[in-house]
Amino acid sequence: MSTSVSAPSVEGTQRATRIDAQGWRVVAGQECRDLWVSGRGPFLIFGFSVLLSGVTYLAATNLDINFLEQREAVNLTLQMAVAVGVLVTLVVSADGLSGERERGTLESLLLTPVSRRAIVTGKLVAALSVWFVAFVVTVPYLWVLGRGVSIVVQAVLLGLLVGTLVALGLAALGLLISAVSTSNKVSLAVSLFLLLALFAPTQLPSGLPQGWFFDVLARLNPVTAALHYISAVLVSGHAWTRDLSYLVSPILTVVLAGGALIVLAPRIVRLHAGVSGE
Amino acid sequence: MRPLFVLIGMLLALTAPAGLAASSAAAAPVATEAVEVTFDRNRVRTALGGRFTLETKIVNPGGAQTDPILAHLNVASLTSEVYVDPEDWSADRSKEVARLRPGQSTSLSWDIQAVNAGSFDVYVVLLPNGPSTAGEGPLVVSPPVHLEVAGRRTLSPGGVMPVVIVVPVLLGLVAAAARFRLRGTG
Amino acid sequence: MITIEAQQLTKRFGARTAVEELSFTARQGDVVGLLGPNGAGKTTTIRLLTTVLTPTSGEFSVAGIPSTRPNEIRRRVGVLPESAGYPGHQTGRDYLRYHARLFGLARSDAERVAERLLTQVGLDERASSRISTYSRGMRQRLGIARALVNDPTVVFLDEPTLGLDPAGQRQVLALVRETAQRRDATVVLSTHTLPEVEEVCSTVLILEKGRALVSGTVSEVTRAVAVQTSGQLRVPIELVDRARQALASVPGVVLEVADGRPDVLTISLTERPGGRGETGMNAALRAVLSADVPVLSFEVEGARLSDAFLTMTGEGAG
Repeated sequence: MSTSVSAPSVEGTQRATRIDAQGWRVVAGQECRDLWVSGRGPFLIFGFSVLLSGVTYLAATNLDINFLEQREAVNLTLQMAVAVGVLVTLVVSADGLSGERERGTLESLLLTPVSRRAIVTGKLVAALSVWFVAFVVTVPYLWVLGRGVSIVVQAVLLGLLVGTLVALGLAALGLLISAVSTSNKVSLAVSLFLLLALFAPTQLPSGLPQGWFFDVLARLNPVTAALHYISAVLVSGHAWTRDLSYLVSPILTVVLAGGALIVLAPRIVRLHAGVSGE
Repeated sequence: MRPLFVLIGMLLALTAPAGLAASSAAAAPVATEAVEVTFDRNRVRTALGGRFTLETKIVNPGGAQTDPILAHLNVASLTSEVYVDPEDWSADRSKEVARLRPGQSTSLSWDIQAVNAGSFDVYVVLLPNGPSTAGEGPLVVSPPVHLEVAGRRTLSPGGVMPVVIVVPVLLGLVAAAARFRLRGTG
Repeated sequence: MITIEAQQLTKRFGARTAVEELSFTARQGDVVGLLGPNGAGKTTTIRLLTTVLTPTSGEFSVAGIPSTRPNEIRRRVGVLPESAGYPGHQTGRDYLRYHARLFGLARSDAERVAERLLTQVGLDERASSRISTYSRGMRQRLGIARALVNDPTVVFLDEPTLGLDPAGQRQVLALVRETAQRRDATVVLSTHTLPEVEEVCSTVLILEKGRALVSGTVSEVTRAVAVQTSGQLRVPIELVDRARQALASVPGVVLEVADGRPDVLTISLTERPGGRGETGMNAALRAVLSADVPVLSFEVEGARLSDAFLTMTGEGAG
């Protein structure tokens, strides 16, 4: 090699660190602008609010609703907020890398000195913004449904804590799927199928069958576990610490999926998906 | 003399187990029925959804230690058309009480939320929970705490309308403004 | 100063070899024309040197930075990818500001750089318009602006004039020239348009099937192959026979008389590759002059880069 090769300087290393520290914020800021100012974000949230309004109005017009049913109405609203908020978050993250590949804009991003880890961090933050906006929109509905039964604060805190855990875990999974999918269609299809599989058990008419096996399944599934925890506290009146074991799988999902995303980013955030050694 | 001593010894051997049994019977724990349980109050007034805590005091006035006890909270509806599911009122309705020495007492707290409107009685039942006494009677019941829960309308269509209408309208305007701005930069 | 150095650079995608043992250097201020038929490995070479792809083997350095420090290389290079996509909902100004920020510029600096580059590439009046409303030429210019946003030491332009009208092509070539001269940057220009290469490139590297066929200046590359040249010689009609006799003594010359023009002789001969000394055409001209035949006009065709390219890559066969 030529003797003109230069060694890394301290200034160069500092600049690289500064670029990375700024880089994820710049990526997140632009992605959020693309989503909320120039994109589909406002329409998605508008549709979401229409859905919540419908559910809230139906609950209020049920004159026979008793105290318990009102608590269940709050629970239903919160669970719907988590479900729809997480759904949209997952769709946004599933488009994060595979969509850029198909639109031809990923190469320009890869040509900047921002590290791959900073790129996925920025995209993760932008995807999470969808969840947070959906949650903020949900708060007035929780207030109006829950003020009569004194569970507003509880519902808001529960939703924020548990919903954020689920949204973060699934957003990280969505980005992972997006990174390795060969096309955007595949990424979206796999992500939506995953979400359906995770939410399906919660829609069984009488819940999961009894037994240790189904109990283990419910705890392993981060979505069913999180929703079970919410119900236990809101409807059954359990203390927050009583069912903490149900939060293990949502936390594990965040740690494993998020950790895999950050650790593997240099290998999977590439111009072509699924090409080894590229 | 010797046959007499043998006879006495045999008699002693035969009666010793009975004597031991008698002495152990004399040292046996006090039956649960001797334990006393009381509430800190006898009346509560609240509104639908109201939360309150009742304290029970369990005392062993007897001269012997009690067996382990299981204290169980119940809510009974005094209003015929109101159905009560006690699980909805309190999540933790069964509490274990360790053996109580003579004269010892213990307190238990019960967190309750009134989820139905009407008249109710709340009481605690003590059940023997020892290795040999579990499932055996008799039971000890506390005096009831009379509960009056006033009904109130916690949800009405009028109350939710502002949110149901304003939130989607606001967000719709924001979405429309974003669309308008996007067209303007074309 | 050497700004690009590649040694035995190889890239394989499974069983397919896209680039094989490629070695070349480029210096500051060079404009390197990267030529080759479709699938020759031009884009792969650019992607390797800009760290978008990782080489299977071989080493390289760009702007003096070894390939083991890809982030640093990216700070020093600007790239216009071949199939660059642009976010249609962003304005040109937003797009350049965003990329300037990604290169570590503060907000105010990014704003200033974006405005300057938009003016430089002639997009200042459309800066606030969405990219989806830009023509193809405007997008290419925006892409070039984006490639210059970090004031790079080395600029890689992959097919910058693709799809542009002649005016657009001229504009782009002027930008390329200015980038190399004013910024003293090394420019690597991948293109199919050989006249462009002849016009702006100081050196040429021709690839085929992932291998380098030849590299050097345009004239070196042109002389590297035997190409058919021809010329038209006009002499006084009464001296045509004397001229014909003089030309008969020059080896390799084939004479024809132009149709309807008895005073014009068409001279064809094959230039030997790497020939030293005077070319065959020069010898033919000297022979005519030595025979005291005045030359009224002499036009030479051939010995163009395109001829060399087609000959080397076999695309001119048939």
